[in-house]
Amino acid sequence: MSHCENRVETPVVATAEARQEFAEKVLPILESRFGAVRDEDDQWGFTVVVDGAQLRNVVLFLRDGHEYRVNMLLDVVGVDYLGFKDYTGPRFAVEYALKSVYNPSRRIRIKVRVSETDCKVPTISDLFPIANWQEREVWDQYGIVFENHPDLRRLLNHAEFQGHPLRKDYPAHKRQWLSTNDFLLPELEARLEAKGYKIISRSKEVVPDAEEYLTGSIKQ
Amino acid sequence: MIVLAPNGEQQSLMPLNVGPSHGATHGCLRYMTALDGENIVASVGEIGYLHRGFEKMAEQGTWQQVIPYTDRLNYCSALMNNFAYCRAVEQMLGIDLPERAKVLRVIINELSRIADHFICVAAAAQDLGSTTGFFYLFDSREMIMVIWEKLTGARLTNSYGRIGGLYRDTYTGFEEDVLAVCRQVDKNLHDVHACFDRNRIFLDRTTGVGKISAERAIQWGWTGPCLRATGVASDLRKDEPYFDYETYDWDVTVGSEGDVFDRLMVRLAEAEESCKIIKQALKRLQPGPINVDDPRIRVPDHAHTYQDMESLIGRFKTVYEGIHVPAGEYYSGSEVANGELGFTLVSDGSGKPWRVKVRPPCLTQFAVFHELVEGVLLADSMATLSSLNIIAGELDR
Amino acid sequence: MDTQAKEAGIFTSTVDFVVNWGRKNSLWPFPYGTACCAIEFMSTESSRYDLSRMGSEYVRFTPRQSDVLVVSGTITYKQAPILKRIYEQMAEPKWVISMGACACSGGFYDCYCTVPGIDHIIPVDVYIGGCPPRPESFFDAMFDLQNKIADESYMKERAERVRDQLEAIQLKTAECKEELISCSHAKVDELKGKAEGLKRDMIKKATFWKEP
Repeated sequence: MSHCENRVETPVVATAEARQEFAEKVLPILESRFGAVRDEDDQWGFTVVVDGAQLRNVVLFLRDGHEYRVNMLLDVVGVDYLGFKDYTGPRFAVEYALKSVYNPSRRIRIKVRVSETDCKVPTISDLFPIANWQEREVWDQYGIVFENHPDLRRLLNHAEFQGHPLRKDYPAHKRQWLSTNDFLLPELEARLEAKGYKIISRSKEVVPDAEEYLTGSIKQ
Repeated sequence: MIVLAPNGEQQSLMPLNVGPSHGATHGCLRYMTALDGENIVASVGEIGYLHRGFEKMAEQGTWQQVIPYTDRLNYCSALMNNFAYCRAVEQMLGIDLPERAKVLRVIINELSRIADHFICVAAAAQDLGSTTGFFYLFDSREMIMVIWEKLTGARLTNSYGRIGGLYRDTYTGFEEDVLAVCRQVDKNLHDVHACFDRNRIFLDRTTGVGKISAERAIQWGWTGPCLRATGVASDLRKDEPYFDYETYDWDVTVGSEGDVFDRLMVRLAEAEESCKIIKQALKRLQPGPINVDDPRIRVPDHAHTYQDMESLIGRFKTVYEGIHVPAGEYYSGSEVANGELGFTLVSDGSGKPWRVKVRPPCLTQFAVFHELVEGVLLADSMATLSSLNIIAGELDR
Repeated sequence: MDTQAKEAGIFTSTVDFVVNWGRKNSLWPFPYGTACCAIEFMSTESSRYDLSRMGSEYVRFTPRQSDVLVVSGTITYKQAPILKRIYEQMAEPKWVISMGACACSGGFYDCYCTVPGIDHIIPVDVYIGGCPPRPESFFDAMFDLQNKIADESYMKERAERVRDQLEAIQLKTAECKEELISCSHAKVDELKGKAEGLKRDMIKKATFWKEP
C-alpha cells in the first residue's frame, strides 16, 4: 500500500477552461474528418452527433490519438424520442459517454441517431470490452441491434420477455411471467470454447419439470 | 462435461452454479463456473435478477419524485445517490447551493461513504470467516444509522436530498453525534486493523487473489476504490471537484497490486480520510439557509405559504407540475462509494424527466468478474466477489 | 388411532406443547435477501439488535436446513422461479416471512418486471410492512410467527396425516378390489367364450364326420 509503482499518471484537476479548450481543439478535427456536428441539446457538456458509419472511426481516433487518450467508456445510453416535443428526427439515439482517466477535463459524449426502420449501430465491443454488456442492455431495453456484437442476448430482462420495455410505446405495467429458471450452460460452453477448450461430451441438461411452471398464477 | 484442453489433455470438468441465492453473493448475483477439481477454468456471469425498472419508473413521475427511487439504487449509501441525482439536475438548472447545504452534503456524503465501505469490508470479513471483523465494523455503522434516523426519519432509504437543497435542517446535537461517530470509527478501524493486518489466514486468502492490472481495469471502465486499488489515483472529488471538495485537506488513497487485499484496505483507508473531511467540515458549519431561495425549484416553507400568495402558487406549481428543467441532455458523474455514479438526463422542458439513465459503477466491475476468477480456487471467487462490493440494486437497477 | 387423536386429551396437548415449544424457539431462518431489506436483515442479525435472542441463532444459507424463509427484497419475474424452487426444497414444517413492501405487494415498483407480491408464487405466513422495515418490526413478525406456531397442533396434524394415509389406503384397496373383480369377470367370460368355441368346434367336427 505504501509504495505506488503502478501509478500510471498523476491526474490533473478539471476546470471549465480546460474543458472548453478540449472541445475547441477536438471539434474542428471531428467535423472535418468524420463529419461530426456539435449537439446543441447538450448546453452543459460536450456532445457530438456522428453518423453510425463513422462511429467506430471517431471512437478509435479519440482512444488511440496520442493527444487525447479518451480511454474509458463510461456508459452507453439508448433514448427513445417517440412523442418528444417539437422533435422531427429519427426515433432512437444511442449515446456513448467517454472520458480520459488521465485528464478528467476530457469528457465527450458521442450521439448516433438511429431510425426505427433501420435499427442498427456498429458495435464497439471490440474497442472497449465493457461495451459488450452495455450494448446488450441497450438492445434489451430498446431493441437497437449492434452489428457484429459477439453475443447479443438480453441482459436485464428474462429470456422469455417479449418486446423492449423502455420504448415509449411499451406500457409500464405490462407484466410478463417467466415459466422456468434460465439456463447458463450454453454460455459456459461458449466461454470454454473461446478459451481454447474443445467439448467432447456435454453434461446432461437438466430438463425443467412440468410442475415447476408458474402457469395460472398471474392474477388478471 | 469432458473437454479437450488447449494443451491436448483430456479433462473432466464439473459445471457448478453459484447464486442467485447464495450466502456469499450479497444480493442476487449469479455466475456459473466450470471446475477442474477446485480450480475455476471458466466462468460466466448473469445479472438482472433485481431489475426493478428504475428507468421506466423515473419517467412516470416528476423530477423530485425520482429521488426515492435513487435511494434504492445503492441502498448501503442511499444519501449519496440522492445527492448525485440532485447535483445532476441542479447543474441543468444552473443553480448554486447555499454554503450550509454544501457543507452538510459533504458531511453526509462522507458518513455514507464510511457506512458503505464498512458494510463492504464487514461482509467480506464475514465471507472469509471473520465474524469479529463483521461485528466491529457494524458497530460504528449502527451509530451512523442512528444519526440518519434522527436527521431524516429513516434508517436506510432516507430520501433526504432535494433538488436545490435538503429536506430539512439538522437537529440539535447533530455535530456532537457526528464527532462521536468519528471517534468510534477511529476506534473500530484500529480494532479491525489489529484483526486483519497480521492475520495469516486473512493475508493468505486475500493477497494476490483476484488481481487486475491498471490498464485492464481502465479498459473495463472501472472507477472508484477498485480502480484506485490498482494504483490509478482517480477520484472525482479531486479531479472534478464539487461541493467545494478541493478546499478540504485530504488524500486520495491508492493501492499497488489491485488484488482483494488492496481493495479492502483502500476502503478502510478511505474511511479514515472521510473522517478527516468530516472533522474539517464540521468546523465550517455555520447557520444559514439550506435551500435555494427560488419558489420555482424549492417548496417554500409553511410560514411563507400561509401568508403570501406567491409562495402558495410556488408551492402548488412545484408539487403538481414539477420543476421545469430546461430542455436538453446532460451527463453528470459524481463519486459515490463504489465509483462514478453517472446520471444521463434527457429533459423535454416539462415537469417530468424524459429519460433518466444511471451509470452504475458496479456493472463494470461485475462484467469482468469472470476474468478475475478464472484460474483461482472456487473459495477465492467468494473473496473476490465480496471485495468488489457489487450492490444488486445498482447493478440491475 | 384416528378416534383417539380427534379430541385433544392430556397426552396430545402436552406433546403439542413440547413440540411447538421446540419449534418456535429454534427457528432457523433462510435469508432470501435480494435488496435493501437484506441490509436491514443484516442489522437485525448483528450485535445491536441480535436476532439470536429469539432463538434464531443460525442463519442457514441452504433451504434444506432451515425452517423460516425470510423473503427480504423485491422479487422480479426473473427471480420468481428460483424463489418457488427454493420454497419447494425446504423440508416441512416451513414458514414464510415476507419482509418489506416489495415482497408483500411489489412496493412502489409498479412495473413491467416486479412481481406484485410473493403470495402470487408461494404461501406467506407473516407480512411485514415498511420500506425497509425496522429491525424492531422484524422482531414483531418473529413473535407473531411464534404465536402462530404455538397454536398449531402437531398431534392433530399427525392424526390428519394418518387419516389421510388410511383413507388413501382404503381407496387404493377398493380400487384394487374392483380391478380384481372386473379382471376375474373378464377371465371367466374369456374362459366361457373359449369353452363355447370348443363346443362349437366339436359340434362342427361331429357334424362334419356324420355327413357322408
